[in-house]
Amino acid sequence: MKPLVVIGLGNPLMGDDGVGARVAHLLAEDGEVTGRADVLSGGTDLLRYQDQMEGRRQVILIDAEVSACEPGQVRLVEESPRENRPESGHTLSAAQALELMRRVTPSLEGTRFTWVLVSVRGAHPGTDLSPEVAAAVRRAAEAVRRVLQRQA
Amino acid sequence: MSTIVIEHLARVEGHGGITVELEGDTVTKVHFDVFEGARLLEPLLKGKRYDEVAPILSRICAICSSAHCLTSLKATENAFGIRVSPQTEMLRELIFRGESIESHALHLFLLALPDYLNYPSAIALSADKPAAVLLGLRLKKLGNLIQEVIGGRAIHPVNALLGGFGRVPAVDQLIAMRSSLLQAMADSDTVIDLIASLPATDFCHSDTLYAALRSPNLDTYYMGDEAMVVSNGNRAIVPAADYRSLTNEQSVPHSNAKHSTFQGNPFMVGSLARLTVNPRRLTGKLAVAMKRLKLTLPSDNPMDNNKAQALELINDVERALEIIERLLRDGVRDERAMPVHARAGTGTAITEAPRGLLIHSYTYDEEGRILAADVITPTALNAASIEQHFRRAVEQCADRDEAVLSRRLQMIARAYDPCISCSVHLVRKG
Repeated sequence: MKPLVVIGLGNPLMGDDGVGARVAHLLAEDGEVTGRADVLSGGTDLLRYQDQMEGRRQVILIDAEVSACEPGQVRLVEESPRENRPESGHTLSAAQALELMRRVTPSLEGTRFTWVLVSVRGAHPGTDLSPEVAAAVRRAAEAVRRVLQRQA
Repeated sequence: MSTIVIEHLARVEGHGGITVELEGDTVTKVHFDVFEGARLLEPLLKGKRYDEVAPILSRICAICSSAHCLTSLKATENAFGIRVSPQTEMLRELIFRGESIESHALHLFLLALPDYLNYPSAIALSADKPAAVLLGLRLKKLGNLIQEVIGGRAIHPVNALLGGFGRVPAVDQLIAMRSSLLQAMADSDTVIDLIASLPATDFCHSDTLYAALRSPNLDTYYMGDEAMVVSNGNRAIVPAADYRSLTNEQSVPHSNAKHSTFQGNPFMVGSLARLTVNPRRLTGKLAVAMKRLKLTLPSDNPMDNNKAQALELINDVERALEIIERLLRDGVRDERAMPVHARAGTGTAITEAPRGLLIHSYTYDEEGRILAADVITPTALNAASIEQHFRRAVEQCADRDEAVLSRRLQMIARAYDPCISCSVHLVRKG
C-alpha cells in the first residue's frame, strides 16, 4: 500500500456530479501519479473506502461542490467543506462520512486529508459534463499533481 | 383544531413527512406524506429486452439494489421457465444476507441509535459512543464486502445474471469473507447488549397484520413463492402469482406511494413480520437473544421492528457463514449461467429485501420484450400500516405536547426503516 491515495468521488451517471471520478480516471493513466499514489474512483459512498484510507499518510479527495462560484472553479482545501444540509445515515455526504469515520477510527488520526473541489451548478442525469466543468478536469488533475509533488 | 406537521422526516431514505390533525382529543386526520416524485421505471421498461430489465430495475434504489436485481432475475426466470442451480440459489441467498447485514447495521447503529439516545445525528452520537458507531460501520462494511465479492460490486451488482453468475467466487475470497464473518459473530453479543440497553419505547400498541415470504423449513430471503399473512393466530397464504390479492394497491391523494391493504386491513412487512411469520428460525442463540431483548411474538408494538432487525443481523451473519462454510467444504463449481430461451408469458417473484416483501412481476412477448411490469416495494406495502400506527400513537398519547408527539411519530416512522424513494412507482390516479 502506498502512503498516498487519491479518491475521485461522485456519480458519473449524474453529469457534473461525476467530475471527481473523471479526474481520477485521468490521473490513473498517468504513470508518474500512480507511481506515487494509489488512485481510486470512489463512487458516492465514502464510508466504503475506510480500509483504503487507514494507514495512509495523506488522502486526496476530489469531489464536485455546489457553490456560488462560477462552474469549473477548482479549489484546494485542507478542512472538510462546510455544508448546510440535513444529515441522513442513508445519504451521508462525503464530508459527513469523513467526519464520522475520523471520529471513530483511531488509525485515521495521523492521516492528512486534502480536498480538491470543483464547483458545479448541480447534478443532472447524463454522462456528459457541462463545458465549464469538463474544462476544469485537467486543472483539477494538475492540482492533485501539485499536492503529490509537495509530498515527494 | 390543532395540526402537527413534520415537513421532512430526518434519517430516512427519501423525502416524506407527517401531518396530524386533532379536534380536541379526537384524531381527525393522519397522513404519511410521501412527496418523492414517482420513479416511472415500469413504463420505462416497456419494450426493453429481458437482459436489460434487472440492470435497469436495480437502479430503483442504491440501498436495496441487490434485492431488486435478484428479484428481477427471479421474475424473468419464472416467466421463461428457467431453473437455476442449487449453487446459484445459495450464492443469491448470500448476496441477500450481505445486503441485509449492511442495511440493518446502517439502520440500527446510524439511524435508530441516535433516536433512542436523544442525539440529533450519528455524527453527534459518535462523540460519546464511538465504539457503537464503529461497530455499525464495521458490520456495514462486511455487508458491502459480501455483495462486492458475489455480486461484482457493492451497489448495482453486475455479476448476477439470468440463469446464474458471470463468475463464481474464488476460494481465497470466501476465506477472507469467512474471517470477517467470524469477527462479526464475535460481535453478536455486543449488538444484542446494545439494543437491549436502549430505553423502552412503549407508546404505540395495535393489533397488527404481518406479511412475509413463507419459508417454513428454510431460513431464506430469496427462495420461496408464497407470502403468508398472520394476524391473531389466523394465517392466509398468498401465492406469488396472486400477489394483487395481497396488495390491493390504491392511490391516496396525499402520497405518491400507493397504499396496500389485505382484506381491507393495512399490514406490516419487514424484520418483525419475517420473525412472526416464520417463528421456527428463532431457536438456539436467537431464542436466547430474543429473551434478552424482551421481545415476544406476535408483537403489538411497531418499535419492536428494531429489536427484530438486531436479531436478524446476528442471524444473517450466522447464515452467511454457514453458506460460505458449505461452499468451502463442497467446493465451488465453475458453472456457467443457464441458457436463456425467451418466450411469451408472465413471471412473478417475491423475496425479502431488508425492509420486507419485494414483488416484481413482468409480462413478456414472444421475443422476450417487456409488455408490462409491476414492482411493489416494502415501504409502499408498509405505507398504510405506518399511518395506522401513527394514528394509534396519537390516540394513545395522553400528553398532547406537540414536541412529544412529533418525536414519537418520527421514531415510529424510522422504526419501519422506510425507503421512501423506492416506495413511489407509477401512480394511476382514480
